[in-house]
Parts: sequence; structure tokens; C-alpha cells
Amino acid sequence: MAKELVKMKDIVKTYGKVEALKGVDFNVGEEEIVGLVGDNGAGKSTLIEILSGAQRPTSGKIWFEGEEVEFSSTKDGINAGIETVYQDAALVGQLSVARNLFLGREPLNQSSFLPSLDEEYMNKQAVRLLQQVGLTSIDPTARVDNLSGGQRQSIAIARGIFFEAKLIILDEPTNNLGVEESRNVLEFVAEMKQQGHSSIFITHNIRHIYKVADRIVVLRDGEKVGDLTKEDTTMEEIEEMITGLEVMG
Amino acid sequence: MKNKVIEKLAAHRELGPLLLLIILGLVFYSLSPAFLSVLNITNMIEFIPEIGIIALGMTLLLTGGEFDLSVGALFGFTPVLMFILKNEGFMGIEMAFFVVIAIAALIGFTNGILVTKIGISSFLVTIGMQLVVRGTGLYISEGFPQSSWQAKTPLKSALAYSIDFPGSYFKIIVSLFWFIGMAALAYYVLNKTRFGNWIKATGGNEKAARARGINTDSVKIILFMTTAVLAGFAGIIDAFRIGSAYPVSGTGYELEVIAMTVIGGTSLFGGRGTVIGTILGVLLLRTIRNGIVVVGVPGLAYNIFVGIAILSMMGVHAYLEKQSGGGS
Repeated sequence: MAKELVKMKDIVKTYGKVEALKGVDFNVGEEEIVGLVGDNGAGKSTLIEILSGAQRPTSGKIWFEGEEVEFSSTKDGINAGIETVYQDAALVGQLSVARNLFLGREPLNQSSFLPSLDEEYMNKQAVRLLQQVGLTSIDPTARVDNLSGGQRQSIAIARGIFFEAKLIILDEPTNNLGVEESRNVLEFVAEMKQQGHSSIFITHNIRHIYKVADRIVVLRDGEKVGDLTKEDTTMEEIEEMITGLEVMG
Repeated sequence: MKNKVIEKLAAHRELGPLLLLIILGLVFYSLSPAFLSVLNITNMIEFIPEIGIIALGMTLLLTGGEFDLSVGALFGFTPVLMFILKNEGFMGIEMAFFVVIAIAALIGFTNGILVTKIGISSFLVTIGMQLVVRGTGLYISEGFPQSSWQAKTPLKSALAYSIDFPGSYFKIIVSLFWFIGMAALAYYVLNKTRFGNWIKATGGNEKAARARGINTDSVKIILFMTTAVLAGFAGIIDAFRIGSAYPVSGTGYELEVIAMTVIGGTSLFGGRGTVIGTILGVLLLRTIRNGIVVVGVPGLAYNIFVGIAILSMMGVHAYLEKQSGGGS
């Protein structure tokens, strides 16, 4: 197996009396695409929010690149090299493509009278990135609101590549996308791996991830019920694990 | 050709209110040339800085996705407390100024904490705060105006000194320069700085902003504090200008200020704000208020015109949004 990038051990998260995660172990290797699947409420979102720093675990330990980490905010996660792309919340619609790209780490132009955002640099870099990911028709100063869902997802993912994130977490990236657009996003994820990035692909629809994932982890009711490399399993087996029921058929 | 015009209008939401302002100005002038008389212009610009300064704070806050209904109460309360602290001999006026500005900041901070950390909507939080602040002002003043404090002090001169022009009715209150300076600062912050980008991101898509490591709670708390401080500051200018502080002054300003801001093109739902639009919105509503009186419409009819202006500008903004959003 490839070298380990993420190791989460015995992660527990409780909200009052509700146990969202009941001691989950979760690993991601380097240059690995892990599909994280499970029904609504299985604990997928909680797990990745803990990994990205958006939430703190009730108990459990996390290692990133071999070092134990305790993220207290998403900022810590980002600084360590973890980018999260949330479904429907990847980009800010009212801002331009370029401003979205640099959101949270805007470059400043120090040479002006008052330090101000370096729009020229942001736009130039945005053009470069858009060319790199094959979205040449997009104007970097265009408002994100005016782009299609697939274009938005691609830009959000590309942002992780641009800032050389080691791990890109994708939360239901193909939801609300058409067939063609979904395929583009999946191709993009595969390409990302070629460039040395690991990713976690969260979905409740196994069909969306089966083609590109190296390994699939199944959560049900806050517990890990499956952790299988793709060669060792079938789509049907995973569907059974997700629901806990045998698939009729 | 037509699409080009619409696109331009949509990209520059300030053009709508600017156009309306020019048209109304011409209409009022043609109905009554006194509208553009020196005395009338002096009257109009006397009060603009005060309501305008509150509107600047509201613009930033609305862009960040929240609003504040306690600004009118703060406008009344802050100077009342300042004069009480001075008149009762607790401290000098300068010290009292800093103390009450700090208290305004604390009130804004409380609004921010209740909204972001406790999770109550800003509508409920600030309407509650409005009652608390207004009630406190009435209670500590026993409902009486805090009477004038006429001595000339550096503080009063700095905020409300009247620059007279001998032989003319024209005068400028120095608060106008405060307003211009603050407007320039607000424009710079909103459009040219990192913090401005974070304000828009927080109001536009809070979750996305958080995922980028932006502390959206802090952004909102800072905005609530800024709004409260500016409302208190504006109230102090007003009290110095007229020579006394009324515990009920500023009643209803919150809605007027929000109307000015939204007419100018700032979104009520966050993510989009324009300082230039707000300035135009302030001028527009002041022009309507003043103009309809000058041309002889009864003052009681004022709200009808304000309402029509708000509705028509909202209609224009919504139309442009649809045209530009759906186009490509």
C-alpha cells in the first residue's frame, strides 16, 4: 500500500446524547482516491468536518503526514494542506472567479499608496489556472453566479490543485450535475491523482465514485462497516453495506 | 445594443439611483426654483452626514449578510449618556465621548455575539437591543432632553463646527468632511482590502467562506461593532449640532437607513454592497423628503413618495438581476 497521508484513529463525536461517530478509523494513502460512502446521517460529513478542522472530535487521534495534529479551525487544516470543497458551497456566487480562487489568501499590492488587493496578479493567475484545467472560455472577472454547476465544481477543485493541497476533500461534488458535467468532474479527480494529490470523494451514490476510486470506505450509523480496495469488492456488495440489507435481485 | 445597456446597468447598480436622483432634482427644480436655492441646499446637506454615516455602517453589515435595527436607538442613546456623564460631573466631555463610544462598541459586540455564537437571527437580536437601548436612554434621562451644552470645546468644533460664509446663507458643517472621509474609507475597505473580500464572501456564501478558513463570526462581530459605533458617533454629531440630546431622537432611522442602502444597490441578503450606491441612496431619500416640501406637497405625504421610490428601485434592481444573471 502507498504511504499513509491521513490516519484517523478511534474517532468519536457526540452531540448531546446523539453519537454521530462511534469510534471510526479512517486512512488515506498518498496519491489515493478514497470513496467515502454511506446513507444520509451515516456520519460522512461529520468525519470530514473533523478532518478538515471545521469540528473537533469528542475523542480520537489524527495524524497527517505522520505527525499527530489537532486542528482547531479550517484555517489550520488549510495550512496543513487540506482543501474541502462543499457541495453547493464551493464558491461565493457574488465574487469573481479570480477573487474566489484567492479567497482567504488574497495577495496584496504593497506598492500602491494603501495596501490593496492585487487584482492584476489574481486575474493573471486565474487565467493560467483556467487554461490548465481546460476552462479557457471563462473570464476570470466573471461573477461565479453566471457559471454552470460543473464549471463551478471544476474551479473549486482546481483551486486545491493551484494551492498544492495534499488532500482534497470533495463533498458530494456530482450532486446536482448533469451526466456530462459529472463525467468532467470525475475525469478531473482522476487527473488530480496523476498530479500527486490525494482525495476523499464523499457520496451517497456509489455509482458516481466506483470508476475512479482506489478504495471505498462505508459508514453506517456512525460506524465503519466496510473498507475495501476496489479489486476486492463489487458495487452490489457496497450497496448492501450502505443499507445493511441484501440487495434483491 | 439594448442588452449592452442592461448589462452596463446591472454591472453598475449605482446608475439607477443616480439617474433617478438627477431626474427628481430636475423635476423639483422645474416645479420650484427654490429647490436649488443656497438656503435649501444648505438645509439639505446639514443633515446628510449624520444619516449617511449610519448608512455606511449598515452597508458593510448588510453586505456581510446581517442587519441592525438598533441603530436609531443608539443614535439617540449615545449622546444622551455622554451629556449625562458630563453634566452630572462624572467626567469631562472628551472622556465621556470615549466612554460612550466604547459602550456603543460593546452594544454592537453583544449583538454580534448573540447572532453568531448563540444563533439568534439579527432581526430578533437587534429589535430586542433597540428596546433595551431606547429604554435605557429614556430611563436615565427621565425622558428629558439633555440640555444644551453650548461651550465651545475642541471636540464640538471637530465634529459639528459650522463654517459660515459671510454675506451668504451658505454654511458647511464639518461633519460633512467626516462623512466624506468615512465614505472613502468604507469604499476602500469594501473593495480593496482582504477584509472587504471576506465581508462579501461571508454575506454571499458563509459556508464557502468558512471552508476557506475565514472566521465569518469575527467578520460579523466586527461589522456589528462598526455599525453601532458609527450610529453612536452620528448621534453625537447631531447632538452637538443642535445643542442638545433627545432620548427619542433617531426613532425610525433604522428602516430609513436600510431603505437608503438597498435603494443604492446593496443586497438585503448579503454578498453585494456598494458604498457609492449608498451615498446616492442617502441623497435620493433626502432629496425626496426636502423636495416634496419645497414644491408644496404636504409633509405628511412624504412616506408615500419614499415608498414609491423604494418599490420602483427594487423593481429596477430585480429586473436587471434577472437580465444579467440568466443571460449567459
